Amino acid sequence: MFAASRPRAATWGLIAALLVSVPLVAAPAEAPGILISRQLAEARHLAVGDEVRLAAEPSGTASRQFRVVGIYEPTPDPLRFAQPPLDVRLHLPDLLALTGDPADAASQDAVTAINVALADPADADAFARDVAGRLPGVTARATSSPDARTNTFVVIERFHTAIAFVTVLGSAVFLLALMVMLVDERRSTVAILRLMGFTRRRILLQVCAEGALIALVGAAGGVLFAIAVQGLFNRFFQWRYDTALVFLRVTPAVVWRSLVIAVPLGIGASLAASWSLLRRTGAGLHR
Amino acid sequence: MTGLRALRFAWLTIVRQPARSVLGILGVAAVGALLFDMLLLSRGLVLSFRTLLDAGGFDARVLATDMVPFSGPRLDHASTLAAAIRALPEVAAVQQVRTVRATAGDRSVASAMGVDDGEDDGEIEIVGTDIHVHPVWTIAEGRDVAEDPANGLVINRHLAETLGAKPGSKVTLRGRCGDEASMPPPVTFIVTGIATFPFDTPGDDTAGTSIASAARLCGERDADQADMLLVRSRDGVGADTAAAAIHARRPDLHIVTNAEIVDQFSRLQFSYFRQISSVLATVTLFFGFLLVAVLLTVSVNQHLGEIATLRAIGLTRARVVAGIFWESVVMVGTGGVLAVPIGFVVAAWLDRILRRLPGIPTGLHFFVFEPRALGLYVVLLSAAALAAAAYPMRIVAGLPIAGTLRQEVVS
Repeated sequence: MFAASRPRAATWGLIAALLVSVPLVAAPAEAPGILISRQLAEARHLAVGDEVRLAAEPSGTASRQFRVVGIYEPTPDPLRFAQPPLDVRLHLPDLLALTGDPADAASQDAVTAINVALADPADADAFARDVAGRLPGVTARATSSPDARTNTFVVIERFHTAIAFVTVLGSAVFLLALMVMLVDERRSTVAILRLMGFTRRRILLQVCAEGALIALVGAAGGVLFAIAVQGLFNRFFQWRYDTALVFLRVTPAVVWRSLVIAVPLGIGASLAASWSLLRRTGAGLHR
Repeated sequence: MTGLRALRFAWLTIVRQPARSVLGILGVAAVGALLFDMLLLSRGLVLSFRTLLDAGGFDARVLATDMVPFSGPRLDHASTLAAAIRALPEVAAVQQVRTVRATAGDRSVASAMGVDDGEDDGEIEIVGTDIHVHPVWTIAEGRDVAEDPANGLVINRHLAETLGAKPGSKVTLRGRCGDEASMPPPVTFIVTGIATFPFDTPGDDTAGTSIASAARLCGERDADQADMLLVRSRDGVGADTAAAAIHARRPDLHIVTNAEIVDQFSRLQFSYFRQISSVLATVTLFFGFLLVAVLLTVSVNQHLGEIATLRAIGLTRARVVAGIFWESVVMVGTGGVLAVPIGFVVAAWLDRILRRLPGIPTGLHFFVFEPRALGLYVVLLSAAALAAAAYPMRIVAGLPIAGTLRQEVVS
């Protein structure tokens, strides 16, 4: 629920810290056990039981032997979906032994972050202030506080909303054009109805009902189409990026929003298209 | 001549139904604008990123390993290595770059005491370069570091505002290098100028100085290390040839050209926007086709009697069919032309939204115009116009004159 961290960065530190709570199968040999991501296993043709050498230096100096005791499916990270997660998880002591400087005792006992579960998560801000006051140099923040990750999705959502706005605008014009043509086609019918004694109000209500029905059926068709293709869309992108992330999901909120936009739009288009006809007299409508 | 007559016939049909025509054209304009924007987005990031990379005039990078720049080991004996690479006939210039993180004298304490808000950690990125080579920043105000090699510092506008500094101000920086336990002594610099750095994000605090001064921030007096070397190939030689020459001399180093970086980013980091733009471009194109096809088909069906009469009084089948084709062309063409300025406005709006993504450099844009995008736009819209006209043209071509006229009279 809470993370306290030093600015010093060690990418694997967090991975190892997480492993403290992950039960690893004990390796039969003396080599310590590690878990590797499925993507790494596939990229390097590794299997459970294989022994590998890991080093903190790209040159491979001071490498250590490890045994692959498991292959895991990494939790999908929406911010890194375009990059294959080639990750290894080690026990924290093994990681510190691998990355620490033997001449520097402090480096053997340094982590990037400590996750803290508070008894009452509502105390997160007070706890952060307390940590900052007692431990200068350590920054602490609630894991639920907004950060760059949430900002990214807020921006992406705004982008998609803007695209949707332009699309709806185009659709509205399309609908209006269609309704104008359909109403024009019914010029004679409307004229006869008016001459028979139908009031403007009644015809208007009829037009509204028709517009609402068309919009409702159209929106329902659109939603059904979206539900039908969401699987294809997700499967394509999941295959493309080798991830379990869900890219498209038709939720009740999305369906509701579509209906809220589509139905008034349909009624509005019908009314706008019918208005010029209804203003005329019955005789004036006859060609 | 026949074409002109058909065009006039189409024009008369369009002006006779102004509401339908205007709405059709507006619909095509809205859809066309979105299509145009998606074409700008499909390669915008790649083009913009390439422009940023090329802005400094260097077309290749030399690193110690294939790790991401500034995250891997440094190059040792950097000045000797730079001189050796510079001596190659394929190379025109070599710039050494070393980055160091630092805090301004009084900001380090405030930062340490505060709660991290996840945005501004009070850190300043110091870029150290060889002052005898063209810098990687652009001076906006004041002078470059070369004017005061020992203590000169250029800072970006954001840092100048944060520190209240201007050319001539003194700034004390404390390096944050390696272990937190060992704190190097502070170094005082004189701000010589305000500069822009190509990869700065809006909230970045960045400063530039000599590579020796950057090392001094970490308490290293005689360090001769660089994070990377920027290489400019000689005119007419090309980055690939220069990279091959460097590799032949030092096969242990990792050399990557701007084109390779762009290619890698295009395949990985930028691929989402490319694919989402492909999906949306396909959808909008289909939508545009549907719009015009439905409008034309409904229009033709409403005027079958009229078309049959025209055929009966002597208009040829080819002329009537060509009229439908030209009607589609005029509608899509007018809408398509209107869509371009609308597309630019919408693109600027969408670009502003996307550039609020965290970590996006100020100079990077998502929607970038290139003639290729406009060409592709014209081709796609033309194809849509042709496809949209196909079905109503078929209806008109196969229209039985006598039967249709009889039906018209009876109804």
